[in-house]
Amino acid sequence: MLEPLYRWIWSDPGRRARKLLSFAVVEADGGRDLVRAAELTRDPLLRRLYLAHALDECRHARLFRGRGVELLNDHPPNSGNSIYQADWLAPGERGLDDLQVEREHDGDLLAFLHLSERAAARSFAQYRDALPNDPATREVFEKVLRDEEFHMNYTRAQLSRIEPEKQRLYIWRARLSRLWKGYLRLAMALAGMISGVVLRVIYFVVLPPFAFLAKRSAREETGGWFVMRAERDMATAKQEQA
Amino acid sequence: MKILGISAHYHDSAAALLVDGLPIASVQEERLSRRKNDAAFPLAAIEWCLDQADLEPDSLDAVVFYERPLLKFDRVLTCLLRSFPKSRDAFTHAMKNLLGEKLWMRGIIASELGISGRKVIFTEHHQAHAAAAFLTAPTERAAILTADGVGEWATLTVGQGERHAGRGTDIKLRRGIRFPHSLGMLYSTFTAYLGFAVNEGEYKVMGLAAYGQPNMVDKVWRTVRRTPDGAFALDLDYFEFQSTVARSYSKRFVDLFGPARSPYDPIDFDTQDGQRFADIAASVQRVLEDILVDIARDLHRETGLRDLCFGGGVALNGVANARILRESGFERVFVPPAPGDAGCALGAALYADRILLGNPDRAFPDHPFWGPSIDVEDLVRLAREDGLEAERCDDRELVEMTADDLAAGHIVGWMDGALELGPRALGHRSILAAPHSTEIRDRLNRDIKYREEFRPFAPVVPVEVADRFFEFPRGQLRLARFMSGVFPVREDWRDQLAGITHVDGTARVQALPREMEPRLHALLEAYGRRSGIPVLLNTSFNLAGEPIVNNVVEGYSTFRRSSIDILIAGQSRLAKRRVQRPVVREEQLA
Repeated sequence: MLEPLYRWIWSDPGRRARKLLSFAVVEADGGRDLVRAAELTRDPLLRRLYLAHALDECRHARLFRGRGVELLNDHPPNSGNSIYQADWLAPGERGLDDLQVEREHDGDLLAFLHLSERAAARSFAQYRDALPNDPATREVFEKVLRDEEFHMNYTRAQLSRIEPEKQRLYIWRARLSRLWKGYLRLAMALAGMISGVVLRVIYFVVLPPFAFLAKRSAREETGGWFVMRAERDMATAKQEQA
Repeated sequence: MKILGISAHYHDSAAALLVDGLPIASVQEERLSRRKNDAAFPLAAIEWCLDQADLEPDSLDAVVFYERPLLKFDRVLTCLLRSFPKSRDAFTHAMKNLLGEKLWMRGIIASELGISGRKVIFTEHHQAHAAAAFLTAPTERAAILTADGVGEWATLTVGQGERHAGRGTDIKLRRGIRFPHSLGMLYSTFTAYLGFAVNEGEYKVMGLAAYGQPNMVDKVWRTVRRTPDGAFALDLDYFEFQSTVARSYSKRFVDLFGPARSPYDPIDFDTQDGQRFADIAASVQRVLEDILVDIARDLHRETGLRDLCFGGGVALNGVANARILRESGFERVFVPPAPGDAGCALGAALYADRILLGNPDRAFPDHPFWGPSIDVEDLVRLAREDGLEAERCDDRELVEMTADDLAAGHIVGWMDGALELGPRALGHRSILAAPHSTEIRDRLNRDIKYREEFRPFAPVVPVEVADRFFEFPRGQLRLARFMSGVFPVREDWRDQLAGITHVDGTARVQALPREMEPRLHALLEAYGRRSGIPVLLNTSFNLAGEPIVNNVVEGYSTFRRSSIDILIAGQSRLAKRRVQRPVVREEQLA
């Protein structure tokens, strides 16, 4: 259903380049989170798997970055292509970026990784299909997808190993957590928008007279040395008395 | 008296604990959270510091924050008003940022630590820098210079510090330069223009400068001018950092210097653009040095003192520091191991203790090792779990074996004792290698550090023989104690020290006294017995984008993910399977 939308988003080579570069950043961040997970787990097998997964994420970051740079060189940003990124409509593997690894139990982390990898694999497959005329970028997605399949499988298998009784519970908890994080992202964006509008109104309605005074005082400043102010010493004295 | 210092919310947040005037612990939040340049409120660092003295927050006598939030708010708002209406986006961004959290530091600290707000006190940002520079230096009286991007209003200050026997301590900052006129912002603007991350890529500009000629100094001087009173002022038509968040330089800046470098383009010195970027880096570096040297020279003339204590982020510029030592007239220049904002946690605590609360001066231990220590058992356990074998050796055997490993061309991850405070690896969390060839430098850049080829690596050498290999002005080695100065490698040795000699024949050398790190000192001597040159390449133990490792688990994970051949943690040694174990002969141990 979203295919025409993805085709539109990925049709612009400049936007494609920047999206790939942003995926590279997210993959690299995800890799660092996995390294941290490897450092924190007490399970030797999980440690080795997390480290292998982290190395995969670093390789993905290099692949995305390399292709993004190629596209950027072929289509420099000032060549008139769109700067609208459509990040909300076509995200990368964003589930990992707000992960608090230190606070997660191995079971929670594996369930979270499993769902996150599955969502990413689904998205990357759709992006690949939206690029019939760009074989080089398609190939990047193909390579990443092969790894994502392994990541999906190992996380599920390990969850079964370490929490055979409660694995479904962990998966459901991770689903709810992803929903909650999605809601928080939306709420934060909305709150940011509202506060932005309020501050913008204050800026243009309340501030102009103060701006006039501030500019006038700036003209009187000559630059160069200033003597460290007496007010500071008074504040220091007040603290000393307190 | 128990005082906790905190720096946070800009970059490199940190905590430091003083008990009865002496430091007990200090650590950057990034080393614990594992997020590079972590600026968040340093709760983990605070908890760790308090644990070291077995303290609860309510037993603290004071908690000191390293700047005055209200004064900072005053500066931000005033600057935004001055650039009305261009500052509309920056205003929204800054107000959300400040009103959302940063303005309410007293309440935040009180609620995070569960203490009364009355215990929270504030120093000015540059007072904290000044204290970190002066009160950690082994000097009785010194001139003080601080310079960074910006604190509250001040961007650079000069003054004087004095320890009076039995009568407390004085730090008087006499005058300063106010935002937006800032050497730190000038350098950061060029950092951004050259395609590097601000607050992270300034080292790269310094490294890049050596490849260029300062043939655009005149152009740089159009963006900054000297004022008649000996200070400087930026021409704000060339800058936008004071009014927008989008970028720090203006269209006029681009008209003057040409198109900016894309962060994604490699720097190729064979191209016209590559050379232009190197020339620009060389030119801004020269201007920064000229201004600093002039200000330091005036300060020397004015105070007549022998010593200068230099703090603030600009003091990380080792090339400028060495020129100050050479040309300003000061006999000694002291730069603390953490001159940037991370060191302000310690600086704020010291300022509160000695100046605000008037406690007597205490001699400050002259080393940077205030962070968490390693647990060597971790390495044995991790190796066993992964089917590897870590061996335990005594100190002498370990040193001899490691010297053999290094002489065989292996790269060694070296962890020992407590973590360093500050951005430099000074012998407790280091990657060590033989310094003789460019191949090993390229291997480190390519397979371990994953960084640009033009960036140099630093050497470490025993202080007793440092002068044989490097040229120090008037034999002054102090700046090299914490790797704070860049000095020429003696010409006779440049070929044999090609791995650490930068393209301009210099190196950011660490001259290591035995008492500061005896085991590394012994390793240097053992390596010297094999190679005839007791010098090693010493770079921080981390991979690109990650903070320096803290504990053994992090060292082990770095070892597994990179081409480091051998990991040493305390008295434990772990080698990759392909590395042959050296045989240590009896006479070597004798």
